[in-house]
Amino acid sequence: MRKVLYAAWTVKHKPKSLAEVVGNKEVIQKFVNWIRSWEKGIPKKRAAFLYGPPGIGKTVTVEALANDFQMELVEKNASDYRTESAIRRFAGLASQYGSLFGGKRIVLLDELDGLTGTADKGGVKATTEIIKSAQCPVVLIANNAYDPRFSNLRNYCLLIEFKKPPAGEVMKHLKRICTREGIQADENASKLIAQRSGGDVRSAVNDLQALAQGKKRLTYEDVSWLSYRDRQETIFTVLRMIIYGKTCVGAKRAVDMADVDIDMLFEWIYENVPAHLTDPHDLARAMDALSIADVYRGRIRATQDWSFTRYLIDYMTAGVAMARQNTKAHGWIPFKFPGRIRMLSRSKAERAMQLGIGYKIKRKCHISAVRASKEILPYLRIIFKNNMNMAAGLAKWLDLNPEMVEYLAGSKERSKGIIKLLS
Amino acid sequence: MSFGMWAEKYRPKTLDGMVNQKEIVERLKSFVKSRNVPHCIFAGPPGTGKTTAALCLARDLYGDAYREHIMELNASDERGINVVRETVKTFARVRSIGEISFKIMILDEADNMTSDAQQALRRTMERYTETCRFILIANYSGKIIEPIQSRCAPFRFTYLPRGEHDRYLRQIAEKEKVKLLDEGLDAVFEVCSGDLRRAINTLQAAASLDKPVDAKVVYSITGRANPADVQKMIEIAMNGNFLEARKQLRDMIQKYGVAGSDIIRQIHTEIFRADMPEQWKIKLADIVGEIDYRLVEGADEEVQLSALLARLVEAGYELRKAN
Repeated sequence: MRKVLYAAWTVKHKPKSLAEVVGNKEVIQKFVNWIRSWEKGIPKKRAAFLYGPPGIGKTVTVEALANDFQMELVEKNASDYRTESAIRRFAGLASQYGSLFGGKRIVLLDELDGLTGTADKGGVKATTEIIKSAQCPVVLIANNAYDPRFSNLRNYCLLIEFKKPPAGEVMKHLKRICTREGIQADENASKLIAQRSGGDVRSAVNDLQALAQGKKRLTYEDVSWLSYRDRQETIFTVLRMIIYGKTCVGAKRAVDMADVDIDMLFEWIYENVPAHLTDPHDLARAMDALSIADVYRGRIRATQDWSFTRYLIDYMTAGVAMARQNTKAHGWIPFKFPGRIRMLSRSKAERAMQLGIGYKIKRKCHISAVRASKEILPYLRIIFKNNMNMAAGLAKWLDLNPEMVEYLAGSKERSKGIIKLLS
Repeated sequence: MSFGMWAEKYRPKTLDGMVNQKEIVERLKSFVKSRNVPHCIFAGPPGTGKTTAALCLARDLYGDAYREHIMELNASDERGINVVRETVKTFARVRSIGEISFKIMILDEADNMTSDAQQALRRTMERYTETCRFILIANYSGKIIEPIQSRCAPFRFTYLPRGEHDRYLRQIAEKEKVKLLDEGLDAVFEVCSGDLRRAINTLQAAASLDKPVDAKVVYSITGRANPADVQKMIEIAMNGNFLEARKQLRDMIQKYGVAGSDIIRQIHTEIFRADMPEQWKIKLADIVGEIDYRLVEGADEEVQLSALLARLVEAGYELRKAN
């Protein structure tokens, strides 16, 4: 199978300058003023503490600022060990304003919430020490600056609160990305993604990529399912937990985090397993797990005994997770919206039409509208496509309206011909 | 101009006109004679004359104005408990005017009623027996709750025997001036397996093509799996492209309405024709059999069949490795 490597759009389309950062204009100005104040000597607060909910551009702002002001950005984040001694080693960097080659420097300590009790022991204290003697701007980032652990640290920092940008701002950003990617996005499609993101720009961009990548046009129907879900845990996180899960319990727990129902989650897994499990044995195992899961769905339906749901969940989550034995993780593979559901939502209007015709058949044929639309309608289609006379007779007998005739005939011209025969 | 659906046009109007289900028809005639009808369950596969029998019974009983004395409800469209509480009850409790003191409620596709609705129905049946008799029509009587079953006279409808099926279709073909070839008739029977409504619809759709009805015409309009498509899908899977194979499968099921059981039968045939080591064929046959079994129990044909495709991808990979 061909491996396709994708770049995450959150990285590819990251703002390069402050002007491109989404929202928080006044907040950013406050931050810029503080950086500028360093040119006149060391200010009273040697550190800025940026805080606010995830995905709203705190880190991006610092990176863009460093770029705009041509400063060297020295960064530590949660992936690095931040014990007291590790931070002290890092402290040296903060001890001089200019770097070796004459440029200015910013020291960034990102994801400060991630400082944990044991592994990063003394980290907060050491950070405070660095700030006290810093010779260059130090920037701290956390979701919650009011964590009691930071109470002393806060005294030495200029607190800057980042707020969720309004949906309109997020939407502008999404549109910019679409333009660059050559995607024509419907106004209400990007609007819905923006609204549902609740100001989390990063997840909005992730959603956009999952829904729009590889397309020429993004319609409202493509994204409409988004309105069904909550933003607490995105479906992508849930899928990652299942498809890349290492333990049965972990994969199973994903179900509780998902904000879609079991059938919808099944569709998501069923759609995405093949692209993520490229080894033929892994794929066969995973699909077999889904097949057994589906058998349990059938048993639940037959017996109406919903307690079987636990086995359905076992196979569709843990079963899929344990299937992965040979496939190596490679690149970033986007999760795709279930194709079958897309087909269904696209044909919503079509189903309404079919049922409408079903009701017409029901009035004449002693059969339910539901069954008529499934069992008799296909025959009508064949007749309407092949025999205008017979079609006209049936149209009259069933009292079909012109739209129904056109739907069955498959084209405007043909339906015109049929209707002509009626008069 | 041929008018309407033939399945309706040629639906028998009276019990005497019913060609099949002889024993059932005789019993129903005795109800007409005694001017009394018990609650009934008509159970059996589709297209075997259940609804027709109920309508014929009503017409024989009440005469041409039978529509004033009966109500037809379709549980697939109106399956909730409220329908029983309101529509059914309202109809059932009002006495019929005329020689016969009771009305008839025909509940079609009753196996689609929710169990709540069935529980509610049970009381209504008991309470208003004087004024209303129920005929419940279902494919599976097992889906009707036990207490209702025990209150009803059961009638089991079976598929039409081949001879009656053929006679009936030939008659219609003759009246509609359709040239129905023997092989066409064979094909209709094979595809519809005795479901007369489907058979007549198939005949009418085939006739709309305005040419003699042969086997090819019949297969082309009934959405049977085309062997060439299945063969191609197997090839794509064995070459390792699972996603493309699944797409083909999806098209077959969703666009062309091919039944999963039909596809799996074709796959089974194709495997023994395929160019691969003999011992692999039997290995794959075992996998096909397992999926075929799961298809019966499972909920979703595409999921089951794509699990089979994944196995074919795996087999193709192993075969290439061995070479």
